[in-house]
Amino acid sequence: MPNLHVLLEDKPEKRVLLLGNEAIARGALEAGIGVVTTYPGTPASEIADSISEIAADAGLYMEYSVNEIVAVEVAAGAANCGVRALTAMKHVGLNVASDMVMTLAYAGVRGGYVIVTADDPECYSSQNEQDNRFYALLSNLPCLEPSNPQEAKDMTITAIEISENLELPVLLRTTTRVSHTRGPVTYGKLTAPKLKGKFIKDVKRLVMVPANSRPKHEVLLRAMEKAKEISEASMHNEVVRKSRSKELGIISSSSAYNYAAEAADLLGLDASILKLGMTHPLPEKMIGGYLKEHRKIIIVEELEPYLEVQIKAIAKDKAPDIDIYGKMDKRYFPKEGELSTRLVAKGLADITGKRLPIDFKKIEEKYDEACRNLPARPPILCAGCPHRASFYDIRKVVGDKAIFATDIGCYALGIASPLNVGDILICMGASIGTAQGISKATDENTFAIIGDSTFFHAGIPGLINAVYNNHKIVIVVLDNLTTAMTGHQPHPGTGVTGMHGASEKVLIEKVAEGCGVKFVSVVDPFKVREAETTLKEALQHPGPSVVVFRAPCALVAAREKRSKGIRIEAYNITDKCTNCMACIKLLGCPALAVENGKVNIDETLCTACGLCISVCPYKAIGGNS
Amino acid sequence: MKTEEFNVVLSGVGGQGTLLAAEVLGTAAIREGLNVRVSEIHGMAQRGGAVVSTVRTGEKVQAPTILEGQADVLIGFEPIETVRSLRFASEKTVVLMSNKRISPSELAAKKMAYPDMKDIVEKIHRFTRKLIIVETEKLAKEAGSTITENIVLLGALAATEKLPVKSESLKEAIRELVPPKHMDMNVKAFKLGYKYVKKTKAHV
Repeated sequence: MPNLHVLLEDKPEKRVLLLGNEAIARGALEAGIGVVTTYPGTPASEIADSISEIAADAGLYMEYSVNEIVAVEVAAGAANCGVRALTAMKHVGLNVASDMVMTLAYAGVRGGYVIVTADDPECYSSQNEQDNRFYALLSNLPCLEPSNPQEAKDMTITAIEISENLELPVLLRTTTRVSHTRGPVTYGKLTAPKLKGKFIKDVKRLVMVPANSRPKHEVLLRAMEKAKEISEASMHNEVVRKSRSKELGIISSSSAYNYAAEAADLLGLDASILKLGMTHPLPEKMIGGYLKEHRKIIIVEELEPYLEVQIKAIAKDKAPDIDIYGKMDKRYFPKEGELSTRLVAKGLADITGKRLPIDFKKIEEKYDEACRNLPARPPILCAGCPHRASFYDIRKVVGDKAIFATDIGCYALGIASPLNVGDILICMGASIGTAQGISKATDENTFAIIGDSTFFHAGIPGLINAVYNNHKIVIVVLDNLTTAMTGHQPHPGTGVTGMHGASEKVLIEKVAEGCGVKFVSVVDPFKVREAETTLKEALQHPGPSVVVFRAPCALVAAREKRSKGIRIEAYNITDKCTNCMACIKLLGCPALAVENGKVNIDETLCTACGLCISVCPYKAIGGNS
Repeated sequence: MKTEEFNVVLSGVGGQGTLLAAEVLGTAAIREGLNVRVSEIHGMAQRGGAVVSTVRTGEKVQAPTILEGQADVLIGFEPIETVRSLRFASEKTVVLMSNKRISPSELAAKKMAYPDMKDIVEKIHRFTRKLIIVETEKLAKEAGSTITENIVLLGALAATEKLPVKSESLKEAIRELVPPKHMDMNVKAFKLGYKYVKKTKAHV
């Protein structure tokens, strides 16, 4: 969607094609939210990115916070002044924010506050596939789960209403297939955002020392009793498909519901479906009644048996004789990976004894046969990516004699051949800390590889630890001047804000110096010789050293050139080429391919970064002119 | 208004414009008042990797993804990626495939050649005979830039007359979604793709 201003049209009943995340942004505008904060992360990024594009015109405040916990802190501060707020993050972002969220549940909010967590079943762009509905149970906060873009918009508004009613933050939990699905959305009315509020001093309410926390825990539990009533009456919890025989009932939520509905049709099941949109707290009475009406219940949900555990507990009291099928006792549906209509249909067929109308096994056999020896195409670093140059420089200096703790970002793609940079990767910022333990335990050359945005997000405490405890590691900060992987959002080092205003540039080298690092150097990764010298010096340094490799993301650089009308003149292979394949063997650049046994440069991909020129032993790569 | 299910799979390499093409199809469907779901993959997977989008229209459609063997149309932006999405194809599927080859880096590293086009066509024929190969790169260059290959394929798709949306709605969706400065080029690309398929008189 090139023009996000369509989100600002005050045309109730207008029907628009929106991405789930854009629909949440529209919901924020209809709910009159005044403050939106985020740290970008797939599959949540487009929620706040959409707001960023239109915030100034919409008259609300938006910021890219340094990380998720700060994002929640900023929004919670505003919400406690009576301003409505929203924070968007990916599922693992909630781990970062959890310290704040768990106790904010005690303190509560005055203005409505929605925390959007976008889960990523199948790990399309994530390091794990945790099920964040359990955060609702853990924190005692209400949770809503949309299944499509329309509901994503509507539930954003419902979440704000519930939040103000209970004076609690509300979780809105999506999955990749909700956030990244486009579907029709019918608009409601826009509400003018309220930007300013009043901070009412109330120590007993807001200062969570033990004497205040104990009674506030009780307050939270009482609020959740009230939340149960809201859930019982919620329009988002309803029986959406009727059965004739009352033999079989299906309970589902979120993206899993879509598969369940289509799979039930595919099999021609005479089953009703109870679709749950508010999944914490569950409408226990409603579920109890539904269980009693049926003989068999099937629970269809993605990832963990979150609903199943609770529904079985409800059944124990309300309908002890009923048969409940899901993924706990016998695994009719997988706990890992994302569901699909096929997987759900198979589970339903196994339970009901119905025959699948499509012979999936036959299709799969035929498909496997067709795809035998088909080359894989995993994601790779782009042509012209400065990370490739950085990794080449590092490999040139240390060869195989180093251990690389890497981090979350495009540069995680450095694990692929021929660069092979990346030996351990866990979570945001962990490279710097784990490198210290590895260095202590092995005395080998140990590198922490971390991107600019990730450095600001979670790298700095680890850096201070390295200085304080004098760990001998080389911290390589790959500064491509953007948050590249999630869609090129600005960060504290860019001098640009989410409102498109100018701000102070926080320089990584100054941060490192300020933290007490004695060896700090900034280099251009495409200047191979200079980079080599710097890395050798850094390895000689007795304590922690920081080398900042600074060069803009190739995609951003190409976009800027295009917008200025500058043509990128691709390089080409001259007749000096001996087909030694050094460029291909050392770089793995997608613009370099072998055609008819000869190296060729793909002119549509080449960005003329010139790294291959530095690598070619025969000076056989040149400009087109 | 057509309300039966119609499924399109768009399969290509990150950066080829599969997302925009899918959004154009979804927007055209909305313009005609249809129910629609478009699935997309963003983030890490996009970086030069294999990407698949799906567009589904029809009254009862709820899931964004489609079942094996149920594609009405498979648009392959790249030959290898067309084969990789054959699980969605069956004898009813029309396959529109670009002949533009993008060599996976694995091939270069292993010094292997790109699979023979004859083999690729043969593999597709095992699933469906309704294959149209479109010279997208040539036509896109003729339109003004290789970045219009995705729109060439949409023009080709319109020419098959299989879609539940009118060709005019597709063109309007393109106008809505493509930056104004690239408009003429994209309109031309659409026409070239359309004519190309009409001219080849492929029986599909």
